[in-house]
Amino acid sequence: MPLVMGILLGGLYAVIALGLSLVFGVVKEINVAHGDLVILGSYFGYAAMTMLGIDPILSLVMGMPLLFGIGFLIQKYLLNRAFRISMDATLIIAFGISIILQNTFQLIWTPFPRGLTTSYALKSLALGPVRFPFVYLLNFVVAIIVMLFLREFLRRTYLGMAIRAAAQNRKSAHLMGINTDRVYAFTFAIALAFAAIAGVFLGLTFPFTPISGMPFLIIALGVVVLGGLGSIVGTFIGGIAFGLAQTLGGHFFGVAAQMLVAYTMVLVVLAVIPRGIFGR
Amino acid sequence: MQGGLILFIAVFVVLALFPVIGVPRVWLLYLFLFFIYLSMANMWNLLAGYSGLISLCPAAFVGLAGYTMTIMTWLGLPYYVGIIPGAIVAALFAMLISIPVFRLKGIYFAIGTLVVPEILRVVFLLWKPVGGPLDGLGRGYTVHGVAEVSRSQPYWLALAIGMTSFLLMRYILRSKLGSGLAAIRDNDSTAASCGINVFSLKLCSFIIAAFVTGIAGTIFYIYQGFIEPASAFSIRWLITLMLATVIGGEGTEEGPIVGTMIVVFLYFLLARYAEISLIIQGIILVGIMLVAPQGIVGYIRKFQRHTSN
Repeated sequence: MPLVMGILLGGLYAVIALGLSLVFGVVKEINVAHGDLVILGSYFGYAAMTMLGIDPILSLVMGMPLLFGIGFLIQKYLLNRAFRISMDATLIIAFGISIILQNTFQLIWTPFPRGLTTSYALKSLALGPVRFPFVYLLNFVVAIIVMLFLREFLRRTYLGMAIRAAAQNRKSAHLMGINTDRVYAFTFAIALAFAAIAGVFLGLTFPFTPISGMPFLIIALGVVVLGGLGSIVGTFIGGIAFGLAQTLGGHFFGVAAQMLVAYTMVLVVLAVIPRGIFGR
Repeated sequence: MQGGLILFIAVFVVLALFPVIGVPRVWLLYLFLFFIYLSMANMWNLLAGYSGLISLCPAAFVGLAGYTMTIMTWLGLPYYVGIIPGAIVAALFAMLISIPVFRLKGIYFAIGTLVVPEILRVVFLLWKPVGGPLDGLGRGYTVHGVAEVSRSQPYWLALAIGMTSFLLMRYILRSKLGSGLAAIRDNDSTAASCGINVFSLKLCSFIIAAFVTGIAGTIFYIYQGFIEPASAFSIRWLITLMLATVIGGEGTEEGPIVGTMIVVFLYFLLARYAEISLIIQGIILVGIMLVAPQGIVGYIRKFQRHTSN
């Protein structure tokens, strides 16, 4: 039972970590605001559901372009400039964005937990003797679709190839006539479009508050580091590892300790295999 | 130098006399916060500005030291006995976490330290160090025996640690540790090849920072009289210290003083607008970093150099 739940939950973690992994792998910056940007996606789904009565998954038609645009602007006007100052500057600016987002959520939606409660989010499925919530399966399927999409996108499109080139060597890519600043802005924008997807499915699975970004950021960091820089397969496996750590931790040590198990695993991964399983 | 010392002592004496001569209590509160944040910001600056360590875990040292002191008051000891043990626990903890996080460089170090206060918060939410009337409510504890203590005592303690942290920074930067750190900052592989032990110098400043931050943390909780995990291990500590250091100027000696003054003044200004206060602080952090990444002190220095040439 916790095994199935853990693997399926891993799908959600992989989607949450995907944007972080992309930015980490290409732009070489750790976006510490990633968790809060995912929660922005959750709140957007919540706003669409409560104010317009649109299904949260359908609302992604608007949510993804919105976060794509926000991501493009953040990278173009803030992080690309910070990048030229120092590595520390990008970290501090991303931290500043995180503070602004958290407190804006709090101002608009109050600190109370919200959830995207739809009819299908509450259904459960039976697989032999095991019963599990339908959304968990949905998360897993979405994770596979999103990852296949990203893989094909990076392989086949011009922008995808430019992104890979800039990831491998910024200077050579620049010399080959690639506008790396623009590529970075698009990379960040794509990462945030994935964050919008992650946010909605997170909201369908768990209740969220304005400060939920932090725990999910930490898990996503663990997933990315375990999976190895910029590896899509690695991110997927890392996601499953953390999903399992959490559900098995909850099973053996009680629900209250499950986050503790996942957090400790992040530290252990960082200390033991900082390059990850699929790291170069 | 002589004049500087006399000025320093004069400022110290005047500030120490404030509670006696009946300065308004609100002033004392803001000065108290200024000294607490100043000592912590000095330590954050020692790490970020001089040792190349972006540490995201000051809350871990504050919380651990605060809890140690609080638990000691529950064991029947007076509050001031717990200050140094609190700091020692924080310093020991810094040594412990240095095992995993010091394997990491640059941005990985930052991630490693980001996780630490979150872990501690969960631990202190689950663990009941001592039974008490307040457990269950987020595992909060009152600090025993401070209700009857006058407000001036924590003020003097804060003044002492604030001033000490300033002197300590001056001393460190002119010592062997300081020049070693400067060499590492300029080029770590050259420094290593000159026989500087990069690892142990960085570890040394990390432990000093944990110790001093711990002392300031215990004094803060002596004043507050109450501790609970959500605020003790809160990211707000980091926000304040980072903001103070960045505004004033990372890697400058005077930076944290100027920065902390501005941050405390901001608290005073924004006290009535609590809900937007942090949004504004976030915007200032981003803005300063983009416009003047060297902070106010760094900017003035650059300007002076520019005009003198």
